[in-house]
Amino acid sequence: MREDMLHEPDQALHVEDLTVSYGATPALWDIDLDIPPGVMCAIVGPNGAGKSTLLKAALGLVRPVAGHVRFLGRPVAQMRGQIGYVPQRHSVDWDFPTTVRDVVEMGLYRHIGWLRRPGKAAHARAMAALAEMGMQDYADRQISQLSGGQQQRVFIARALVQDAPILVLDEPMAGVDASTEAVIIALLKRLRDEGRTIIVVHHDLTTVQSYFDWLVMLNIRIIAQGPVNDVYTAQNLRAAYGRHLAMIAVPSEGAAP
Amino acid sequence: MTALLDLFSSGIVRTVLMGAAMLGALSGMLGAFAVLRRQSLLGDALSHAALPGVCLGFLVAGGRDLGSVLAGAFLTGALAALVMMLIVRRTTLKTDAALGIVLSVFFAVGIVLLTVIQTRGGAGSLGLMTFLFGQAAAILRSDLWVMGGIGLAALAVVLAFWKEFKLVSFDADFARAQGFPVTMLEAGLTVMVALAIVAGLQLVGVVLMVALLIAPAAAARQWTSSLGPMVLLSAAIGAGSGAGGALISATTRGLATGPVVVLIATAVVLVSLLVAPGRGLLWQMLAARRARARISDGRMLATLQGLATAHDNAGYPVEQGMLQTALGAMPPARRISSLEQRGLIRSVTHPPETTPHWELTDAGHAEAAALSGQPRKERPQ
Repeated sequence: MREDMLHEPDQALHVEDLTVSYGATPALWDIDLDIPPGVMCAIVGPNGAGKSTLLKAALGLVRPVAGHVRFLGRPVAQMRGQIGYVPQRHSVDWDFPTTVRDVVEMGLYRHIGWLRRPGKAAHARAMAALAEMGMQDYADRQISQLSGGQQQRVFIARALVQDAPILVLDEPMAGVDASTEAVIIALLKRLRDEGRTIIVVHHDLTTVQSYFDWLVMLNIRIIAQGPVNDVYTAQNLRAAYGRHLAMIAVPSEGAAP
Repeated sequence: MTALLDLFSSGIVRTVLMGAAMLGALSGMLGAFAVLRRQSLLGDALSHAALPGVCLGFLVAGGRDLGSVLAGAFLTGALAALVMMLIVRRTTLKTDAALGIVLSVFFAVGIVLLTVIQTRGGAGSLGLMTFLFGQAAAILRSDLWVMGGIGLAALAVVLAFWKEFKLVSFDADFARAQGFPVTMLEAGLTVMVALAIVAGLQLVGVVLMVALLIAPAAAARQWTSSLGPMVLLSAAIGAGSGAGGALISATTRGLATGPVVVLIATAVVLVSLLVAPGRGLLWQMLAARRARARISDGRMLATLQGLATAHDNAGYPVEQGMLQTALGAMPPARRISSLEQRGLIRSVTHPPETTPHWELTDAGHAEAAALSGQPRKERPQ
């Protein structure tokens, strides 16, 4: 296949035969996955199911041993700058000496280009992104002074500022307060309604049905994928989570969820 | 004073001073990034790994030729960095273990080579020992040009790629997802650190060079919360420590430079850890004490207010023993006099009892109400 040829351009994310392995044990095994454009998709699965690894492999941060990934038909290398990525909040050192606005401007560094500094336009865009997250009053704060929820809002603002058609978020609701979660979800739904594709690694099964319209269930392999109402079934949940299922909300069998 | 002036008019001392200051500024600047990337000890491994290179350079050149010695140091340093990267990627060992192994193996090889060269004797072989702990007096005027060149080049690179280095230091995964050549940028930073180490070998020596990388950055971080000022301050502290250490060592016979530089730099770190505003230990102790005092005052006022409400008497005089029982222990006299001075409580007598009593003033009632977040009740008549 030639690099400039589109492959599966009708899918926001197309993953085929993807296998990732750390040492001998596979972290992801033979993943075939399609996420159509314009959906708000949750990736769920138990701990160690490879949810973050799937995102990282899709974004080219982890090298797969087999398989390929396309965003809107193109390899990720051709889509840089068009995918907003929100890593896990704990992946960085929040004691880093910098300000909130500075972090958000990092989302524009690629756009600004080599050898140039962020100027007035970048400042304005960063402020607008912060305002969308309700964080405009914190622009000049040190990032070490933020609460967990505020850190998450700043991270999302950094992805937002790129104005990307695809947003990929790794556990954005982990350890944030209810009001931050509401702000994040309202924003993501609005972005989805604008036609963007939102892909979220999510850990809270109780909110899957109310937040998302597309669902991928993962446990090393793909268990199920599709519209939430088709995929969120007791049978699939049991397949993904096994015996720990008693702890979580299961739709009653037969009844419409 | 004239002795000091004599000192500065001496060509050797001026050379040493300028060399050490440039070296300190260079390693301070690059050290700031190394510390923020949590790679402080990489510098340690690189500098120890430079020793076999120094010896090989000596053997190849057949003498203490600075060019080949430094080239050798750079090569083995780079080899060590490569080996370390391979160990981390290809085995299950973590970075710290890989670092420890590489550091000690390379250093051991260096020491073996060093002793071999010394047993064979020959001109200048003794001079190699100075690469262990550094010797300020060994520096030549021509070395300044080398150091200045490396310093200016590093400065230009850091300024040119400022925002990329910042991004990679803060969040390498995000940088990679954005399509930045993260591996290249990280390698660039590492190569510059290796160059700084090579430049500092003569002055500070392989064993303690890492202190000149870490200490200025650690101290600078205490005083500022922006990357730009931190890098600048780190360079300044590095220059000061380097110059101070080299000066003392150059004017005192037989004093190795490395240890003196390290002692000065760590003294700066110690002071910074203690007194830096906001992050300093003393500062935090003071803040904790203020918080304790505020809580103690609040509890005292709340207790007085509660008793006044219970007795329906805003000026109810509370006896010391009652306060003591309610609070668990009497607040220190200092706190009580502070409350009195602020006009929140008033010391009163309540005959026939002879023990001390206190009552809330109007301001005290207002303060207590504000602290508990309740609207203030009308003062009962």
